[in-house]
Amino acid sequence: MPDETDELDQYLRGGSDVSCEYKRESSPEPPHELDRLVLESAGSMKSRTPFKRKNLAPFALAASVLLSLALVLAMVFGPQVKKTDDKPQVVRVRIFKSEPPRATPASPRDRNPVLWLEDINALRRAGRIDEADVEMRRFRSAYPGYIVPISE
Amino acid sequence: MDFVDDDAGLMLRYRDGDAAAFAALYNHYKGPLYRYLLRHVRSACAAADLFQEVWSHLIATRARYEPRAKFATFLFHIAHNCAMDFFRRDLNLRRVMPAHDSESSLLEAEVPEHQRPDRVAEFVEQQSAVLAAVAALPQEQREAFLLREETGLNVEEIARITDVPIETAKSRLRYAVRKLKNSLRPMQEPQALRLRTYA
Repeated sequence: MPDETDELDQYLRGGSDVSCEYKRESSPEPPHELDRLVLESAGSMKSRTPFKRKNLAPFALAASVLLSLALVLAMVFGPQVKKTDDKPQVVRVRIFKSEPPRATPASPRDRNPVLWLEDINALRRAGRIDEADVEMRRFRSAYPGYIVPISE
Repeated sequence: MDFVDDDAGLMLRYRDGDAAAFAALYNHYKGPLYRYLLRHVRSACAAADLFQEVWSHLIATRARYEPRAKFATFLFHIAHNCAMDFFRRDLNLRRVMPAHDSESSLLEAEVPEHQRPDRVAEFVEQQSAVLAAVAALPQEQREAFLLREETGLNVEEIARITDVPIETAKSRLRYAVRKLKNSLRPMQEPQALRLRTYA
């Protein structure tokens, strides 16, 4: 066994007869056609280099920073939602005995005179004489030449 | 990253798209790889096919390359696998042939030229004494010897390439060296050579 080990060690150290004989032999190289095929193959694969994950890291980081910034800006400067008042709201409801008068338009001139007179009559029938008189004065100023039919 | 030798660095550069790095690697390893394949499979035609197969595999899988060993170990491990596939295919063909004696003439035409036993014998005859002795070694011993001679890798790395324990690789190399030594002895000892038996 020691001889065998020595034999192998001697060979592994280099310079053994076997190695020298082997190295003295010719050293064939691959044909040039093979060189061309392999190098062309390596070159053509270059353009198909896959997009590596580590190349995406800067984009992922930039996207995260931008998203965070957008969120912070939205929270600070975004549209404020008005906080509802906790106090109970008082709602005034007007109750009419008959049909309620129609809403008054912004300009008296825009109001239909016939409907306006009907509203005034409705106020009178409801006993709200003062309001009916005020409305009538408004009517007269808006339609000075309008002939008001005599109410019964 | 302790394993990043210069060649592994070149391979990393090639992985990242540097074609010039591949050319440098190719020029460095094309001779050793070709000779390893040629003298291992004992056929110029098969060696050329395998040579191209090894580089194609390296090119195709370069994106996944991580230096876990010397580049030579990585490259010759691919070569070892390709050669093993070659021998497996060869063995399957040889198994099929005797089972179809009636069609032997038909099948003979289907066996690749370089795998025919007479072609292998012819290849051995064309070699010098030492190369003929190498070609006559058992497959595993021949591979261990060729890896050592062509790459200069140590026994541990040869064991990694051939997927065997270190002691097995050592043993294969030891037997190969002894057989080659005996075959190189002067012709005046032919009787002694004939009487020796080897494991």
